Amino acid sequence: MSTRGSAIFDGGRIVPLLILIAVVLALAGAAEFAPTVVQRRITQGLINLVAVVGLYVFVGNSGVLSFGNVAFMAIGAYVSALLTMPAAAKGVFLPDLPAFLAATEWPGLAGALAGGAAAALVALVAGFPLMRLSGISASIATFAILVVSYVVLGNWTSVTGGQNSLMGLPIYVGLWTAAGWAVAAIVVAFLHQESRSGLLLRASREDEVAAAASGVHMVSHRLAAFVISAFVSGIAGVLLAHFLGTVRVETFYLDLTFLIIAMLVIGGMRSLTGAVAGAIVITLLTELMRLAEIGVTVGDMTIAAPGGLGDALLALLMLLIILFRPNGIAGGREISWPFGPATPTTETQPRKPQ
Amino acid sequence: MELAAERVSVRFGGLVANDDVSLAIAPGEVLGLIGPNGAGKTTLVNILSGFQRPHAGAIRLAGTEMTGRKPGAFARAGIVRSFQAVRLFRGLTVSENVEVGLVGRGLGRAEARRRALALLADFDLLHRAAQPASALSYGEERRAGLARALALEPRFLLLDEPAAGLAAAEAEELKRAILSIRERHGCGILVIEHNMALVMSLCDRIHVLGGGRTIASGRPDEIRADPAVRTAYLGSTAA
Repeated sequence: MSTRGSAIFDGGRIVPLLILIAVVLALAGAAEFAPTVVQRRITQGLINLVAVVGLYVFVGNSGVLSFGNVAFMAIGAYVSALLTMPAAAKGVFLPDLPAFLAATEWPGLAGALAGGAAAALVALVAGFPLMRLSGISASIATFAILVVSYVVLGNWTSVTGGQNSLMGLPIYVGLWTAAGWAVAAIVVAFLHQESRSGLLLRASREDEVAAAASGVHMVSHRLAAFVISAFVSGIAGVLLAHFLGTVRVETFYLDLTFLIIAMLVIGGMRSLTGAVAGAIVITLLTELMRLAEIGVTVGDMTIAAPGGLGDALLALLMLLIILFRPNGIAGGREISWPFGPATPTTETQPRKPQ
Repeated sequence: MELAAERVSVRFGGLVANDDVSLAIAPGEVLGLIGPNGAGKTTLVNILSGFQRPHAGAIRLAGTEMTGRKPGAFARAGIVRSFQAVRLFRGLTVSENVEVGLVGRGLGRAEARRRALALLADFDLLHRAAQPASALSYGEERRAGLARALALEPRFLLLDEPAAGLAAAEAEELKRAILSIRERHGCGILVIEHNMALVMSLCDRIHVLGGGRTIASGRPDEIRADPAVRTAYLGSTAA
């Protein structure tokens, strides 16, 4: 009984990872046959998925909501843009750029990794004091990171172009590049949550006091998750920049923050399955709403949903989830095969009163 | 090699929770800590486990000063406590609850899982290993709490009302579990408990607190006969 039980237990751990990767690849495969517009939407959805998974690495495992991860996306996007843009384009948009940056033309992958690393470095420095905070004060402090990055990037005209857009970035992110990074992000998040540090962080999420009594040093595990989370978010920003070919500081502010958080909340912030499910479901839903807003043309009459319906629906959906299913679509659990005992059953026994 | 509180005092505003209390636990000893509600028992456990810093006095482990260190440092030094409410990590699986302590001591996840399953088997919880801790019944929760504490390989185990809410038969089972922990792990055990029959039959020595002060300390038969203890429990008119 015991060996059999533990064998199932061990083997079952990797199942959620395999299923999530399969889902992403299937989605990208299906998009291959879709019209270009839809294909672009799915690509953007996969980029959002990277961002949601990046947010999940910190929020899901620590239980502290972060409003600051879009700042890491912005940092990734700008760093990669500065390192990969053709020197000629930089001469036009950023005439005052320091000489060593003006001449740099790195390949895309090197720029992407540098973007992620820069975001991670900022998270390490900012997180060092912030990770000592808990609950709402920690969340507000992460919001401050977003505001600071927005103000700095929007006013550092010689390096970022300030309020103007940077254009002429190499556009190398298509459907399969985005899908590849989505798979990579899922693998990183899964390995982290199953790692020793991930387990100890999840314990502190459940009960800070009991975790301390078990010898868990919460701050260092939180900081580790914050840095990894910032790296993945930074990559998401890089992907978005090289998908659109332009970078604007406005892109990386409240709208995107709301979208990414809504995806995580609706999917369920306590499991990787939730993060992935939220990104995919919301992407498909907003795509449907977009089509509804364009409407159907019958003769010379167009029947269309009123503009802005998509955003309203997103807000409504988030409200309903918070009210009726606080753990999101995934309910705080990882996905498992539909048949067979791969992952734990979750029948609950009534608690006896004390 | 003993865990000692030396003349510790703690005040919460005007309330004196512990007043000049000294107590020592030796390895392999089961020490009972009793006293009426508000006597300062849990505060003393908080001090002994690093959750409360005493305003005066010191905590020493085998002569080493521990006062002012963080709870995590106490845990890593082998001073492990339980809580009145068990405080399991409810969103983690039962196995993961136990693994936390093992992983925190530096074991890899695979080895931690093997040892966690062995510990759970000791407490008859193997069939629950893969389920979330929130699915456990009350008695199972208590046992899982003990398994989680043992995963830290305690030199000293501080149990805050481990039998609270248990039926008589379950309390008897708990007593056997505590004695077998002492036998197999050789650790010193401090037990806060209100169930007097359990305390008298389980403990080698008993320390009695009342109003934050030490009232008496001695073998169970001495404590039973002590007039000051009777006064504390029954009211001052009995004196």
